[in-house]
Amino acid sequence: MLDFIEPALFAILTIAIVAAGAGVVLANRITTSALLMAFTFLNIAGMFVLLGAETIAMFQVLIYVGAITVLILYGVMFTPQSPRAYGLFFQTQKYWAALFVVPIAIFVALVAFSFRDSATLGAKGGDLLPLATSVFRDFAFPFEVASVLLLAAMVGAIVLVKRDEE
Amino acid sequence: MAVPLGAFIAVSAVLFFIGTAGVLVRRNAVVILMSVELMLNATNLALVAFSRRYSSIDERGSVFVVFIFVVAAAEVAVGLAIVLSAYRNKPTVDVDEIRQLKG
Amino acid sequence: MPVGPFGIDPVIWAPLRLVIAVLLVVGLVFNGALAQIYLERKIQAIIQDRLGPLHTGPWGLLQTFADAIKLLGKEDIRARLTDKWFFLAAPSIVFSPMLASYVVIPFAPGIVGADLNVGLLYMTTLGSMTVLGIVIAGWASNNKYSLMGGLRSAGQLISYEVPQILSLVTVVLVVGTLSMVGIAESQPGWQLNVLVLPLAFVTYFIAGLAETNRAPFDLPEAESELVAGFLTEYSGMRWAIFFLAEYGEVTVVSSIVTTLWFGAWHGPFVEVFPLIGVLWFTLKTYFFVLVFMWIRATLPRLRIDQLMSLCWKVLIPLTLTNLVVTATLLLVFPSTLVPVAIANWILLAAFVLLLPYVQRRRLVALRERLRTAA
Repeated sequence: MLDFIEPALFAILTIAIVAAGAGVVLANRITTSALLMAFTFLNIAGMFVLLGAETIAMFQVLIYVGAITVLILYGVMFTPQSPRAYGLFFQTQKYWAALFVVPIAIFVALVAFSFRDSATLGAKGGDLLPLATSVFRDFAFPFEVASVLLLAAMVGAIVLVKRDEE
Repeated sequence: MAVPLGAFIAVSAVLFFIGTAGVLVRRNAVVILMSVELMLNATNLALVAFSRRYSSIDERGSVFVVFIFVVAAAEVAVGLAIVLSAYRNKPTVDVDEIRQLKG
Repeated sequence: MPVGPFGIDPVIWAPLRLVIAVLLVVGLVFNGALAQIYLERKIQAIIQDRLGPLHTGPWGLLQTFADAIKLLGKEDIRARLTDKWFFLAAPSIVFSPMLASYVVIPFAPGIVGADLNVGLLYMTTLGSMTVLGIVIAGWASNNKYSLMGGLRSAGQLISYEVPQILSLVTVVLVVGTLSMVGIAESQPGWQLNVLVLPLAFVTYFIAGLAETNRAPFDLPEAESELVAGFLTEYSGMRWAIFFLAEYGEVTVVSSIVTTLWFGAWHGPFVEVFPLIGVLWFTLKTYFFVLVFMWIRATLPRLRIDQLMSLCWKVLIPLTLTNLVVTATLLLVFPSTLVPVAIANWILLAAFVLLLPYVQRRRLVALRERLRTAA
C-alpha cells in the first residue's frame, strides 16, 4: 500500500540531481555552481540510501560534501576573477561540444532502459558487512595502495603550492 | 512497483553527460574540476546500482566505489594545487588563456 | 493487520511518530541550550570568583529568557553583502546537521529515534557537514576578517576530524559494531569502556573540544580575536542560531562520549524500570557538558599554529599508535580485553607524563636558539 514511496522518492531525487547538475554547468556565479554541486552530492547520497547502500551514502556525504566541496570553495575564493559578460563563460568550442554530447547522451539514456529488473532485486540487508569483508580481506592490497596514493597526493599538493623561499 | 535498474543507469548517464558538457564548454578551470567531480559521482551511482542488483553474488561494485572516492579526493587536491600555481603565475584561471608553457 | 502502539493504525503512526520525534528533539535542543547558557554563565562566574546572574528571577534563572527577548528584538543589520541567499542560509546549514544527529542517540533501552546499523558513522558525517556552513558564513559576510575567520575555522575543524575518527574507530574495534544501541548494550553493569580504552576517551574529548569550536580552541569565534571571526556580521537571532548550534553540538559530543565510554543508560534500577535510563543518560551527558564549561573557564586560548601543531604533531601520531596497538593486541589475544586495557593505560600515562616534559625541553631549546641568535 505504501509502494508508491520508492518511485516518488526516486523521481524527486532524479529531478534534483539533473537540475542541480545543469545548474553547476550553467550558473552565473561560481559560488552558486559550487553549492549546487554540494546539493548534487547530497542527492546522490539519497539515491545510495534508496538502493540500500547506506555505508556508501555516509562516505559520500563525509568525503564529498564535507571535504571536497570545502576544497573547491577554497579554490574559488583564492582565484577571484574580474566580472565579465555571461557569454564569455563558455569556450570557443561550445557548439561542437553540444553537437557531440547531446546525441550520445540521448542514445545512452535510451539504451539504459533495457535493464528492466528492479534495482533492489538481489539486495538483502545493509551493505556494511559485505563491504567491510571485501575491502579488508579480498582487496586488502588495493586498500594499502590507495593509502599510499593519498599520501603522495597530499605531499604533492603541498609541494605544488609552496612559495619558493629566497 | 519498484524502480527498474535501467532508471538508475539512465540518471547516471544523464549526469555523466552533463559533467562532460561542463568540461568541454566552460572556461573556468575550477568549474571544469567541479564537472569532473559530477562525472565521477555519476559513475559511482551506476556502480552501486549494479552492485546492489547483483549483491547476492558479491558487492565488488561498492568496493570499487570506495576506491573511486579515494582517487577523486586526491585528484581534486592536486588539481586545485595546479590551478592555484598557474594563478600565481598569471592571474587568470581561464583555460583559453593559459596556453603557453612559458610565462 | 499489524497494530501500532496505543492501538493506532500503523499508517497514521509512522508520520505521527516522526512529528513527535521532531518536536521532542527541537524541544530538547532549545531547552538544553537555555539550561546550558545559564549554567555556563553561573559556572564561569563561580570559577572566576564572582557571582554571575543574580537579579533576574531566583538565582538569576530567568536570565536566559531576558537574553532571548533581547536577541529577538535586535535590529536585523545586513551590510552590503556579496550574497543575500548564502548569508541567510549559512546559519541553517550549521544548525541542521546538529539537529539531525539526535536521531541515533540511545536515551534508554528501546527509546532511540532510529537504530541505524551505521549510527556512529552517521554522527561523524553530520559533524563534518558543519564545516561547509562555516565557510559559507565567513564568505557571505563580504568582510575580510570574517572570511579569514571562516577559513581558519574550517581548517581547524577538518584537521581535528582525523583524531576524532581514529579514536572512534578504536572503540568500534573493541566493541564490534557501529550501531549506537549496540555499543550502549555492550557495556552492562560496571564493564564500562572507559576502563578498557581511556586514551581514546581523552583524545576524543580533546578533538571534540576542537570540533565544537569550544575553548581552548575557540580562536575563530572568540570575541577578542579577529572581531569575532566568521560571526562578525551576524546579529540578533541569526547569531543566536549559531550559538544554539554550538551548544547543541556540545550536547551531541557529550552524548557520544557517554554512549561510547560510560555505558549510555546503564545505572541502578535500569533493568527493573527501563525509563529511568533517560535520567542516567541525561546526568552523565550533563556531567560532560559541565566539564566542557569548566575547561572553558580554566584554560587559556591556543593560537592557530599551536592548535594545528597539537593536532598534527601530537594527537594524530597518538591516536594512530593507539589504533595500531589495539588492533595488534586484539589479533594476538582474541578472547580477552585485558592486554588492550593495559596497553591503553600505559599509553595514557605516557601521554600525560611525557607531554609537559617534551614541552619543557622544546622551550629550553627555543630559548637557547634565541639567545645565541641575539
